[in-house]
Amino acid sequence: MIELQAAVSGALNGSLFALMALGLSLAWGFLKVINLAHFAMILTAGYLTFELATSTGLSPIATIVATVPLMFVVGALIQLGYERFGVSELNSLLISYGLLIITVQVVTNIWTADFQRLPTEINPYASESVAVGSLRFPMPTLLAAGFAVILVVTSALVLERTYAGRALQAFGQDREIASAFGIDHRLLGVLLAGAAGASAAIAGMLFPIGGTLTPDLPFEWIGQVFAIVILGGIGNVTGTLYAGLLVGAISGLVAVIWTPSTSPFVVFSLVVLALVFRPKGLFPQKGG
Amino acid sequence: MSRRASILALMTAMALTIAACAGDTGTTTTAGAEGTTTAAPGTTASPDTTAAPSTTAEGSGDPIVVGGTLSLTGAFAATGAIHKLAGDMFVERLNAAGGLLGREVEWNLLDDESDTANIAPLYEQLISQDQVDLIMGPYATPNILAAMPVAERYGYTLPQHTAVLAPLMTYACQFPGWSIGPEPNSFIPNQIADALDSLDGAVSTVALLTNESGSTAFISYGIADDPEDPSTLNILPERGYEIVADIPYPPGYEDWGSTAAQVRDANADLVLINGLGVEANSLIEAMQQLDYRPPLMFALFPAPGPLLGLGDAAQGTLSVSIFEPNEPILEQMDPEVREIVEEFAERAAAEEIPYTVFETQAAASWNAWEILAQGVEGAGSTDGQGICDSLHSTGAELTFSGAVTFDPAVNNFWDTTEGLKQIQGTEWVMVWPEDIAAGTLAGPTG
Repeated sequence: MIELQAAVSGALNGSLFALMALGLSLAWGFLKVINLAHFAMILTAGYLTFELATSTGLSPIATIVATVPLMFVVGALIQLGYERFGVSELNSLLISYGLLIITVQVVTNIWTADFQRLPTEINPYASESVAVGSLRFPMPTLLAAGFAVILVVTSALVLERTYAGRALQAFGQDREIASAFGIDHRLLGVLLAGAAGASAAIAGMLFPIGGTLTPDLPFEWIGQVFAIVILGGIGNVTGTLYAGLLVGAISGLVAVIWTPSTSPFVVFSLVVLALVFRPKGLFPQKGG
Repeated sequence: MSRRASILALMTAMALTIAACAGDTGTTTTAGAEGTTTAAPGTTASPDTTAAPSTTAEGSGDPIVVGGTLSLTGAFAATGAIHKLAGDMFVERLNAAGGLLGREVEWNLLDDESDTANIAPLYEQLISQDQVDLIMGPYATPNILAAMPVAERYGYTLPQHTAVLAPLMTYACQFPGWSIGPEPNSFIPNQIADALDSLDGAVSTVALLTNESGSTAFISYGIADDPEDPSTLNILPERGYEIVADIPYPPGYEDWGSTAAQVRDANADLVLINGLGVEANSLIEAMQQLDYRPPLMFALFPAPGPLLGLGDAAQGTLSVSIFEPNEPILEQMDPEVREIVEEFAERAAAEEIPYTVFETQAAASWNAWEILAQGVEGAGSTDGQGICDSLHSTGAELTFSGAVTFDPAVNNFWDTTEGLKQIQGTEWVMVWPEDIAAGTLAGPTG
């Protein structure tokens, strides 16, 4: 029973990381941008959620009304910058790492490096759970799973069933040919980057609901998020969710069967094996 | 290898490296330093918790410059701010009382940005380029360990606030401001067992959780590769407490849901988390989500403010402390202690330091400054070896820890005054040992 509870808790926790990975995977897969600034946006959104909720008494979930549009604009502006200066895939990694470092420092200067937690009176979710029999589904990660499913399904539908989505897929496969067919890759790229920024805002809202904010959090997230992106398949939105759930469940199970310290060893061994044997991810897309 | 595959490999390497670094150090910032000098305005009265000022042959009129670093930015900045404020207050009071050796004291404070890699170069700079007269240690054990070889190389005495890993602090002229004795890995579990013994059998089983970083793992498991070394894992069973779960976890651990399930399953009377920062908060909340509350909790080195912020969920949680400004304790101490505590609270609030209570961290800082000041006065000079010899021969009289002596055979770790504090209502209350307690130890609930 304890193993089942650990797997459930771990999988739900993994869904939060899948949500963090979603925007990163989309930008990498379709725009050929490895945007570490995505973590900066998640971090900033987390602190804005904290600030808005504590200063106004709003529910942290309600703060997405402000943070989602803001991060959409930030994501779009960063993409415009990449486009304007013709930043290559590898250079985007280096530039966005710089942006991440700058953001961490700015966040530290504004909110200090101390731990910041949402007070219980405006964040009742932190200690709540849903019971199904003897199983407990912690509310913070249950919310994350809910948002992750909504965003992943929406993204998949947009990519598969709309002109813009199909255009993005074409652009992701071959820029020159797609452009020759009249696809406005700049506009699509900016919109996609904006959407990735919006997903970062939602992930950023969810993190302080279940955890404690410190400015150096992105450096704890990066390993697991990239593991999910790689295992899920770059640009594969449903794969990202499956990989998040899988990585989370495995981490939870390993933690109780062996020790929590063994989890990173197992997860990153999986990543290495996937890179060798399944470089397109564990969950191949149709026609992929 | 294709370009995509190369990038994937590079990303994986980066992710692994960053994950490892984040886990090991918990620091994030880049190199560099910003200097500030805390001059001594001499604003307050009340001389005298420190060494009495005197005029000596060295009384040239030039200020005595104390060099040091603190984590003013980066991961340790919140605690660094506490040490800075305590240091500022001490230097001001010292100067108001006439300074050291009849000379004003200045504190040349650099920001190490919470990055251990910055420590040695900055102390080299302070000693060899800035030619400071004295040095004060940085905050956090890894940083203090990094400063120690530099101090030793130049023969400077190194008072330090918070490194409690006695076996590692081998420089004969480093002097701790916070001591859990020469064997904290023995003292802490024994003190916990003493306190539990007083609860008349209410606690018999323990779930042990351990952050695998240096100081916390040392308390749980003793020195690595020596299973006979004193440790929580050995001592509690010897004292009659069964350890029903032993759960080590890595620094930066996030998946508290799984761990909470394990703790719930163990159903221990005491959940003992030898952890850092807000790890105890995360565990408590994860247990709440499973609708589980352990009868009693102990957290080794928690951030004190956030645990109080949990309200009822953290009531009764125990931790370690060398000083808590509880009213019964203040009433027994020199009136100046109350003054210091109140001034600290006021200034900490003005400087927006999140936790404004003058407790263990600030007291350890104050102790370190007093050790330095009394060493200088005892030596009658700023000579490093002279200060060191003076402290070894006469010890120090510390406002918050009383008279202490320094024995190089045990790395100068003095007989500890550390006790246990417990969350009772809205504050931490010293509850153990009984002779220094400000309240009664509350036993398990439920």
